[in-house]
Amino acid sequence: MSRFNPYEENGGSILAIAGQDFSVIAGDTRQSLNYSIQTRYAQKVFPLTSSAVLAVNGFAADGKNFVKRVKQRLERRMFPFYVYNILAGIEEDGTGAVYSFDPVGSYEREACRGAGAAQSLLQPFLDNQIYFKNQTLAPGAEPFVPGRLPLSTVLSLVVDAFSSATERHIEVGDGLEMYVVMAPGRSADDLTAEEAQQAKEWPSELTVEEMESLGDEQEEGKAFRVFRLSRPLKRD
Amino acid sequence: MNGGSVVAMIGKDCVAIASDLRLGSQAVGLASNFEKVFPVNDKLFIGLSGLATDTYTLRESLRFRVNMYRMKEEREITPETFTHLVSSTLYEKRFGPYFIEPVVAGLPDATPLNPNPKPFISTMDTIGCITTPKDFAVAGTATDKLYGVAEGLWEPDLEPEDLFETISQTILNAMDRDALSGWGAVVHVISKDKVVTRYLRGRMD
Amino acid sequence: MAVPGGGAYSFSLTTFSPSGKLVQIEHALAAVQAGATSLGIKAKNGVVIATEKKNPSLLIDDSSLEKVAVICPNIGFVYSGMGPDFRVLVTKARKIAQAYWKVYGEYPPVKVLVADIAAIVQKSTQQGGVRPYGVSLLIAGWDSHRGQSLYQVDPSGSFWAWKASAIGKNMVNAKTFLEKRYNDDISLEDAIHTALLTLKEGFEGQISEKTIEIGIATTPTSPDQMEAKSGERLPPTFRKLTEAEIRDYLAL
Repeated sequence: MSRFNPYEENGGSILAIAGQDFSVIAGDTRQSLNYSIQTRYAQKVFPLTSSAVLAVNGFAADGKNFVKRVKQRLERRMFPFYVYNILAGIEEDGTGAVYSFDPVGSYEREACRGAGAAQSLLQPFLDNQIYFKNQTLAPGAEPFVPGRLPLSTVLSLVVDAFSSATERHIEVGDGLEMYVVMAPGRSADDLTAEEAQQAKEWPSELTVEEMESLGDEQEEGKAFRVFRLSRPLKRD
Repeated sequence: MNGGSVVAMIGKDCVAIASDLRLGSQAVGLASNFEKVFPVNDKLFIGLSGLATDTYTLRESLRFRVNMYRMKEEREITPETFTHLVSSTLYEKRFGPYFIEPVVAGLPDATPLNPNPKPFISTMDTIGCITTPKDFAVAGTATDKLYGVAEGLWEPDLEPEDLFETISQTILNAMDRDALSGWGAVVHVISKDKVVTRYLRGRMD
Repeated sequence: MAVPGGGAYSFSLTTFSPSGKLVQIEHALAAVQAGATSLGIKAKNGVVIATEKKNPSLLIDDSSLEKVAVICPNIGFVYSGMGPDFRVLVTKARKIAQAYWKVYGEYPPVKVLVADIAAIVQKSTQQGGVRPYGVSLLIAGWDSHRGQSLYQVDPSGSFWAWKASAIGKNMVNAKTFLEKRYNDDISLEDAIHTALLTLKEGFEGQISEKTIEIGIATTPTSPDQMEAKSGERLPPTFRKLTEAEIRDYLAL
């Protein structure tokens, strides 16, 4: 006898990395059920306010509904949703922040987090590259501090992480969508300047657009800035 | 199952193979010196991750077969031929398999007809279905994690020292996210005129 | 017991005579000596094996006669002695080669197959209820370990490697002829011609593509000849010459 199961697992993965005065949050755009692809473009990453972007992964229907309700009123009483959430943005002190949640609401602030179908592929890679796990300092070198990597490094790590996950996980692929949230007053040159985009480290086929104001009022000259970055991933 | 993981990688005229050192019984750790990679000959190694008793049984059974081969054929077995030997040994137990996923890594000898042999790795499922990757092969309880890190760190034509760093970082970081693998690791880097074996200290939790 | 035909020791396969001989094996060798002549020559870049194929009656359809047998893509047999015994050994050899392929993913080196066949032949000199095989074999082949090689297996189970050899009726003359003709630098082409000349020496009747058979083992010259492209089979290193090819060699 089979019990009624109200949940589905729709694959895909999300991840977020915090910088000193920015944060990056990303998700692939494939939505699948078992071995079928339902769509090659389903949003998993949603800008909520001008300083916070939410990534939702798990049961897509719940995810959609969850985001709708969160957008209506930012409170956190809404948890029988079968979704893993990662929230990235800028804290009040201007630092890049990543908060990860489990479906019932436990949360933690971290320097980085991967979640979803390919979490087991993403996380150990991030441990190594973001938290510098198992890396030994060369004599006389600057100590490793997680959360201080330059934006260009973070971007290429995110792209590498998702390309890797796409290569080895059938539920990840099609497209990559990233949001970069920047603290007020921070220069966006390392993202928008011609020079930055010509650099060797800059990921291929990456398009960058700045988001319109997200409705909430921002003080002149102290505005957060949000950028949407996208790039294709392998479709097989 | 007793846990444990193995990974092998191809470099420029060299190969590397590594395993963790944990032997456990479910969540309980029993030993931290359980190597899962064994030499077949000077330039050929096999990693046997899976059920520990089968690791030993299969190792002895392969030792028997390789010794017989060496005497009968008056030559060393090549990595490719050895892979087929392991595969057919596993398939003999098609309906009651060894709970082992082997990984083979070796550097074939140069011959007049094949003066520049390529480094070779292969892996099989429990009943011997062979795959021969051009980059890396993984097996064991940390399989997905190894795939994730290896896919991100590996690049073509690594020199022996860089290959050592890459495979070490791969297994250490994958192990740390796997409850059933860990407690240190052993790495063998096989190049044309020597094999370098190093033991890595890792987290002991 | 001095009886004509060898006496008490001549029937039991496994009883040594006082002089240390197993007489049944001597008899099997006699069967070989009575058989049609076969010969083999190892060249610099290959091996040739050849034999007479005498048709005992005009009425026999000679398309069914085959004396040179392909065992696997790198090895072939020819024999002198009893045809039926040869076919039994060919079947066993083919099975051994395929079993080896199943385990190692490649065909056996010539020496390994020769040793296995010799072990089978030896068994029939010791086991109860059987008679020895009434054939000597010449085995030609190529493998990556030892290159081209030519072996002989006798009814006793002994085997040797040869540079050139002959078995069967005209063996002694053929060997003398080969000794005169052989040199270490002989090419496969020259070896084929020498093989034909040697056969001609003792040949009764007209030599033609219908009355002889030839098999050749060749040596790959580059690694890509040993690596099968996907979906393709490796070209064989041992093959039989067609009647047309033999006709051309005879015409030269």
